[in-house]
Amino acid sequence: MFYRLSGVRHTSYIADSKMFKVPADRNLVVVFLLFGLVAPFLVPSLYLNSYMLPWLIWTAATLGLNLVTGWAGQLHLGYAAIMAVGAYASVHAAKFGLPWEVALLIGGLASSVIGSLFAFTALRVKGLYLALTTLAMQFVMDWVLTHSPAISGGSHASLQSPTFALLGQKITSDTGLYYVAFGWCVLVTIFMLNLKRTGLGRALVAVREKDFAAAILGVNSFYYKLVAFAASSFIAGITGALLVVTFYFLAAPEQFAVNVSIQVLAMVIIGGLGSIIGSYLGAALILLMPGVVNQLFTYIASVMGWELGLETLAHIPNAAYGALIIIVLMVEPMGLGKLYANIRDYLMVWPFDQLKK
Amino acid sequence: MAHTDSNPNDPILLMNSVEVLYDSVLLAIKGVSIEVPRGGMVALLGSNGAGKSTTLKAISGLLRAERGKVSRGEIKFDGQNINDILPQNRVGLGICHVIEGRRVFEHLTPDENLEAAAPPSMSRKKIASEKERMYEYFPRLAERKSSQSGYLSGGEQQMLAIGRALMTQPRLLMLDEPSLGLAPFLVAEIFGILQRINKEQGLSVLLVEQNAVAALEIVSHGYLIENGRVVMHETADALKENSDIQEFYLGGGEGKNFHDIKHYSRRKRWLS
Amino acid sequence: MDWVYLTELAVNGAMTGLLYSLVAIGLVLIYKSSSVPNLAQGALTMLGAYVVLAFSDILGWPLWVAIPLAAIIMFFVGMGIERVALRRLAGRPVVMILMMTMGIEIFLRSTTLAIWGGTSRSMNLGVSYDPLFVGDVLLNRVYIVGAGVAIALFVVFLLFFRTRIGIRLRAISDDYMASWSVGISVERGVGLSWGLASVVAVAAGVIWGEVQGVDQSLSILLLKGLTVAVLGGLDSIVGAIIAGIILGILESVGANFLDPLVGGGSRDLIVAMVLILTVMIRPHGLFGRHDIERI
Repeated sequence: MFYRLSGVRHTSYIADSKMFKVPADRNLVVVFLLFGLVAPFLVPSLYLNSYMLPWLIWTAATLGLNLVTGWAGQLHLGYAAIMAVGAYASVHAAKFGLPWEVALLIGGLASSVIGSLFAFTALRVKGLYLALTTLAMQFVMDWVLTHSPAISGGSHASLQSPTFALLGQKITSDTGLYYVAFGWCVLVTIFMLNLKRTGLGRALVAVREKDFAAAILGVNSFYYKLVAFAASSFIAGITGALLVVTFYFLAAPEQFAVNVSIQVLAMVIIGGLGSIIGSYLGAALILLMPGVVNQLFTYIASVMGWELGLETLAHIPNAAYGALIIIVLMVEPMGLGKLYANIRDYLMVWPFDQLKK
Repeated sequence: MAHTDSNPNDPILLMNSVEVLYDSVLLAIKGVSIEVPRGGMVALLGSNGAGKSTTLKAISGLLRAERGKVSRGEIKFDGQNINDILPQNRVGLGICHVIEGRRVFEHLTPDENLEAAAPPSMSRKKIASEKERMYEYFPRLAERKSSQSGYLSGGEQQMLAIGRALMTQPRLLMLDEPSLGLAPFLVAEIFGILQRINKEQGLSVLLVEQNAVAALEIVSHGYLIENGRVVMHETADALKENSDIQEFYLGGGEGKNFHDIKHYSRRKRWLS
Repeated sequence: MDWVYLTELAVNGAMTGLLYSLVAIGLVLIYKSSSVPNLAQGALTMLGAYVVLAFSDILGWPLWVAIPLAAIIMFFVGMGIERVALRRLAGRPVVMILMMTMGIEIFLRSTTLAIWGGTSRSMNLGVSYDPLFVGDVLLNRVYIVGAGVAIALFVVFLLFFRTRIGIRLRAISDDYMASWSVGISVERGVGLSWGLASVVAVAAGVIWGEVQGVDQSLSILLLKGLTVAVLGGLDSIVGAIIAGIILGILESVGANFLDPLVGGGSRDLIVAMVLILTVMIRPHGLFGRHDIERI
């Protein structure tokens, strides 16, 4: 009753291949888009820039990883390293004097090139071994960054990024930065949404399912793996750059270490492999949950009169993060996107389905 | 769980109107009823995809591994309802299923394969004597008992799979297409050994085969399964004589010559 | 070319490598039977060490009581983790299973640290710290003990896999369906292998705790253990031992030459490079099965 598929009839091929075929879906998306646009005027600036902005940026990162892991089926445990390449390349380009638009592009392209190297390993192995290789490459990248003062300023130094500017306009206000992140996230989302309508998307799915069978059908699996890595690395590069520019304001190697790679992968899996709405939900859950649990613990401790040592408090967010992964995977292995789909399907026939035995 | 005193004339296996669902949506078997008499040899015939393997898996409990379940009907082994018993425990009751495609433990030697199947309660001496018995039934295996099973030939692997099943001390042996991919003389050899075991030990056998010719030589009666239903149940001789069976499953038939190549198969007489 | 020094590096490196093998053996045990790459092995190692300490430091019990007790507890912890968390993911894409083990790693590590705190403690095994001289070569006694433990474990498992239970575990790792069909309880076998791996984790935790103190860095051993396991073949215990020796020597001798060139920290780099090269050139490692490529 709330999510209706009845009455949705398409009379032309064009109508049938629209991105949102069901009016309910379309309306929901429009509502969220509008909310995103007017958020700076509704939401206090603290929440905007501490919660919504990182959420949008990490969603873009999650979407990018979803492209290569969820759609193309190539396990990638080195995503943060690629983001680092983009971040550092952009910042250096901007420091060199190039306008930010160009610097961002350079960051994206640099990431693309390095990310494509990973594709060559994907040609040889898959599954667990690909995951291990990308993990090892992440370590190598970590090492290169901390040992190259030229790039990163050394292991404990950080690289200050010049003020962000687009089209000549310097953007320093919270609202401005928020819109930049929002715009980028919308762009990536539109790209991902279109994926299922295009030949590229279908080819990626074919490669994911059985790459040798796809090759027999004429889908060059190596080419598409390369494309998947290159595209998702491009997204990673620009996202990494934007992360530094709008959120951290300086670039340091710890920001792109192994645990960050694992965090993005967790967002992908908890959200649901290949699910776009899942990327939003997964990123939100992982970003927010540890903080919420920490506050919950502190509150309970104060109410019950427990003494929580500083050590304990420091580790609770991480423990919550780990527990979150375990619990979500146990409850719904297909992720939050599937959970959302379950609820939507339930509402689709409500209240009639309940009459079935 | 106590079961009623089994009457020696009762069938050792009784399947009543069983339905099997895969993935909660695919109805693979639509009401199959089968009986295997004690000490008897029964065949399940039918072409690809008819539901024969599924029937065996329902009896042995291996459906769970493929997201299938018995949605209706009951399966009684020796008078006891086994619907809710785990597959590994059904083996303890005396049902052993030799699965399709041989599936020996490839990295273990044949000797270790036999040892792996021995029940945990079997003493060392008994295991050794049982192994000897297997090597006596299958002399070829004795020659290869220390090489990796993955390197055995198809026929040897099939013998190993049967020998391995026999180590579990079964009372009902179920075989899924044992002749698959084997040369005719090997098929004859293996089927001969099955007959011998059936006679010597009184082991009941349920044989699923596409190769109806070979199967009908050794069984006493057979069921024909098509599209998940039993369409015929006769003695082996009656099946061999039946002209429909001859045409559709035994390669015989009324007057096929070159002129008749482009002829349409007549409708099967039991589909009325 | 200072041969004595080089020999010293190689021998000590080999022994360090055998300590990595301790972690690798746990990984191999689980992978062999359930095809799960247990990324939580590092956290189990750390937890094992802390549990031993809980008995010996806090309750004051002697180590020869604490260690077996911890082994028993961790055995059930490992079985519990498999039963509760991993079993329902059987058959799912490997990326989900990887993520689950990573989640368990993060959770166990943080919870352990939250309970026991992050300050480093010492294991106090009672091994003297006097250096041992074989000829002119300087050896570390603790490393010798550790290497001995690794080799002892190796022999134990080699014998174990010839027993009836061991044969059944090997059968399970070959073919689940066939195992069920002959009455082998795959569920119990997999649970058992997780339990055994956790016991090995206790041994690894105790030795490493002695070598570098019991603190959170124990968990970082994972990458090195993983590299050893992959180099040796993810389902080969023999491989875990030999690969450990090889990696240890490579790391030790290689770092000696590379550090001056790159300014330090090249040990980890070498390990990462070995992992990449192994996967690219020979994914199934030195002794692993060929069919593993087709995950």
